[in-house]
Amino acid sequence: MTKPLLEVHNLRKVFKKADGSQHVAVDDISFHLETGEIFSFLGPNGAGKSTTINMITTQLTPTSGTIKIAGRDIRTDPINARRKIGIVAQYNNLDRGLTAFENLVYHGRYFGMTTQAAEQRANELLADFGLSEWRQDYVKSFSGGMAQRLKIARAIMHRPQLLFLDEPTTGLDPAYREILWDHVLRLNRQQQTTVFLTTHYMEEPERFSDHVAIYQQGKIRALGTIPELRQLVPAASIVYATVDAVTAPLLQELNQQPFIKEILQKDEKNLAIFPNTDDQILQQVLPIFEQQPVKLENIRLSFASLDDIFVHVTEHPTEMEVKAHA
Amino acid sequence: MRNQTSLNVFWIMVKRDLLIQWRNWAEFIFRVVMLPFILILTYGYVLPKIGVLPASFPNDLFPGMVGMSLLITGIHGTAVPLSMDFNNSREIEDRLQAPVPVMVTAWAKMFVGMIESWIGALLVLPISLIFMGQSLRLHLTTGNIFLLLLILLLSSFASAALGLLVGTIVKPNQIAAMFPGFLMPVIFTGAIFFSWSALVKLPFYQILVLVNPLVYINEALRHTMLGVGNAMPLTYSLIGILAFTILMGVLGMRRFRKMAVR
Repeated sequence: MTKPLLEVHNLRKVFKKADGSQHVAVDDISFHLETGEIFSFLGPNGAGKSTTINMITTQLTPTSGTIKIAGRDIRTDPINARRKIGIVAQYNNLDRGLTAFENLVYHGRYFGMTTQAAEQRANELLADFGLSEWRQDYVKSFSGGMAQRLKIARAIMHRPQLLFLDEPTTGLDPAYREILWDHVLRLNRQQQTTVFLTTHYMEEPERFSDHVAIYQQGKIRALGTIPELRQLVPAASIVYATVDAVTAPLLQELNQQPFIKEILQKDEKNLAIFPNTDDQILQQVLPIFEQQPVKLENIRLSFASLDDIFVHVTEHPTEMEVKAHA
Repeated sequence: MRNQTSLNVFWIMVKRDLLIQWRNWAEFIFRVVMLPFILILTYGYVLPKIGVLPASFPNDLFPGMVGMSLLITGIHGTAVPLSMDFNNSREIEDRLQAPVPVMVTAWAKMFVGMIESWIGALLVLPISLIFMGQSLRLHLTTGNIFLLLLILLLSSFASAALGLLVGTIVKPNQIAAMFPGFLMPVIFTGAIFFSWSALVKLPFYQILVLVNPLVYINEALRHTMLGVGNAMPLTYSLIGILAFTILMGVLGMRRFRKMAVR
């Protein structure tokens, strides 16, 4: 059996606040990534995702726990770890005083590429990401989307084994999001590059991830494949209903129905109804809405999406059992 | 792809910094030249000409101008980009992710600061020659030129070490306060306008200014450029420069590591 590429054991990070109290940003988490897998790390803002990435990428010292990349502890061998990883940070940390081409070439040179090899790969990546036209432009003149594309190109410049994408598609239009994923998937399939993704676009992990971890308040609340995580929500199918205003009598009526397991009010107009059965559920639910003095604007039946799983898991943290990915 | 050596990466990082500095050469020259220019014009030309200061004053002033320009340029050249890099642009993260010890980035920053400090010291020469040329009576022999170069080398190292410490402490929004709050006191207590031994009449002040590394740099330069005269003994000034370099270097490196791997 081959060793996992990334192993995280009992990782914990505690920050001291200005008032002397402590904030546990990462609370004793463990997981591992196999070579070639795409792993999504999902959580609300401030959940501790970036703190975790910063520790794995040697930018932040853990309070306790161990991180191993390719079997070697990153605390004792951070250089080996950095050689194997590429990072796309959430923010723009490109060299504004350099051109797009120079940003890539210098990065390649830091990682041991010869000037010729670095220049050749830089040109290829600039072409792939639609930036050839701005090859000699300074990065400080780049739009947010252009900078984001260049950051991704820079992160894969040295062909890392483990690529960290921290909200990589934020600010990218749909066309470039597809280009990015096309690239990432190609790297993943052709070179077995392992991908560690954080994102707020749930359709991305749903489409591409092998495993997903749902993270909240420093803890992994759920971890598994998408089908495994689907089992965590009360029903595989969900009825989504939009009314002009959700009323208490409507909720009461729905709650009394034996074929309804759980109701989640998303906002003042939207409901997610988890049925006990998939059998003709719409036909059973529709009359209830018709009996109530509410205007039904939309109703549809669908499988539980990752969005639903995420909302459910983060809203019911104490009920969830972490599915071990071991 | 070969495994990169620290020395290779160091040179690549130095090249990157110099390229960026070269692209801003006009701003660099303006920044480096303006302070010595205005001080030399006032204290080396106008005040001696109108009789407020003695005619020999420019000669005493010259080593101090070289020392000041060297120290201030080195501090500025290291501290300001570091502070911006760490706290604002975060451009340094790419270099800190290079597969070499993170301190390579610190050494490269310091080396570039040293180069800038030498350029700063060199730029004082033409200004001094223009405004104080007739008053300068330097005593430079072949022997003490090597000593002078050694002092300049040590001093530039001290300035970069101090820049490293300052750059890892000061936040970008505090840079504006750095000039009145830090650089001005360094300049005006730094034995530029007076020799340290002349402070014998103010013993408290004579001891107080010893916390300023510029005092040792200027006294060593005064000793080498003008002869023994009333300068601090060379051994003392060299020990002072060395001690400050080690102290600032160690503290600066510690701070850098803390910023790089939080």
